[in-house]
Amino acid sequence: MSGPAGVGIGWRPEIAGFVAGLPGLRFVEVVAEGVHPVGPLPDGLAELRERGVTVVPHGVRLSLGGAEPVDPGRVAHLAAVATALAAPLVSEHIAFVRAGGLEAGHLLPLPRSREAVAAVVANVRRAQAQLPVPLALEPIAALFDWPDDELDEADFLTEILDATGALLLLDVANVHANARNRGGDAAALLDRLPLERVAYVHVAGGAEAGGFYHDTHTDPVPAEVLDLVRHLCDRRRPPALLLERDGHYPPAAELRGELDALAAASGHPVVT
Amino acid sequence: MSGDLAARQAELVAALVAGGPLPPGFAPAPVEAARRALRRKRAAEVARHWPLLAAGLGADWPAVFTDWAHGRPTVGSLRDGWDLARALRDRGTLPPLGADELAGREAASRYDGRAAPRPRRLPAFARAGGAVAVQLAGRVRLVRPAPR
Repeated sequence: MSGPAGVGIGWRPEIAGFVAGLPGLRFVEVVAEGVHPVGPLPDGLAELRERGVTVVPHGVRLSLGGAEPVDPGRVAHLAAVATALAAPLVSEHIAFVRAGGLEAGHLLPLPRSREAVAAVVANVRRAQAQLPVPLALEPIAALFDWPDDELDEADFLTEILDATGALLLLDVANVHANARNRGGDAAALLDRLPLERVAYVHVAGGAEAGGFYHDTHTDPVPAEVLDLVRHLCDRRRPPALLLERDGHYPPAAELRGELDALAAASGHPVVT
Repeated sequence: MSGDLAARQAELVAALVAGGPLPPGFAPAPVEAARRALRRKRAAEVARHWPLLAAGLGADWPAVFTDWAHGRPTVGSLRDGWDLARALRDRGTLPPLGADELAGREAASRYDGRAAPRPRRLPAFARAGGAVAVQLAGRVRLVRPAPR
């Protein structure tokens, strides 16, 4: 199956009907942990596959950045979902989600240290050895930094990608959030990343609260994030961009408007 | 500060979700913001698994959940909501919608509070806060809603 192309949207059961009604849609992403690889696919998803829409499994619980070896059972699940969906690639995060027997409940940042690079590289290689398709890695949004960063974000990511040969899933909203909350220049970071390795791009909404920008996925995409999309596409237009929405789903017209804005900012065809 | 990434990751997670101390060197305000964000996310996920419980508590849901979840790491959204619903039942503060939902879940599955709930194979009935639910061949019916 072909790789991600054009403007896509994160498939969620709550908006399956909306997604199924997008005439120009060529790719979606599905949260891998929510799919059972054995047995029938969720209704809307099977339909999309029949239409030839590319479905990329997106893992959120592998904890590739954990100091312990990645759980082979979790990788096997991701691999089985990729096979069931005939996916051209899978994606996961440069993050950890559990440690010391406790689940954090969400993606946590790694220190940008040599030790952390080594840990994540080892886990990515373990995962790659078990996966039937290429893996794209997504840098996350975080509200805080570790006290002992040795590398800056661009060097940290580039070292991991170089050592593993992994593709990049670039989340422009995360880049915006990190610059806003942790300092740094979002556009300058984009300029330093290996954009030729971008498999696709995430775009999502967020909101200011308590002095921080929160990458909520439940609010509209802010103008600053769309500006970053334009900046990125001026530098090198990624093959695909995907809107992530994870709750507080707006009326269909509003969601279509967000997809259209993404098409306009990137120069990809409208899918609505 | 380098070395032993595993131990340092464990300290950080404990600080974020289990009431552990802030590990040395971290800026308190951003970590506190992250702790709150994780708690909001957890509350939203539990609400998705227990929609009637959350709806029954309405505007009080975030505060009730936060109060219960303090220093109590997640055991998964299904069990988190189940444990919370039982705690509210025992205190007599389970809202009627939550009682209906809990009775249905208790009739459908056996949950010992320690391991994942298991579907009941035999017919069963369950009560919670005045609600009564029966389960027959895997189908659950609320035979008496909790008094409103």
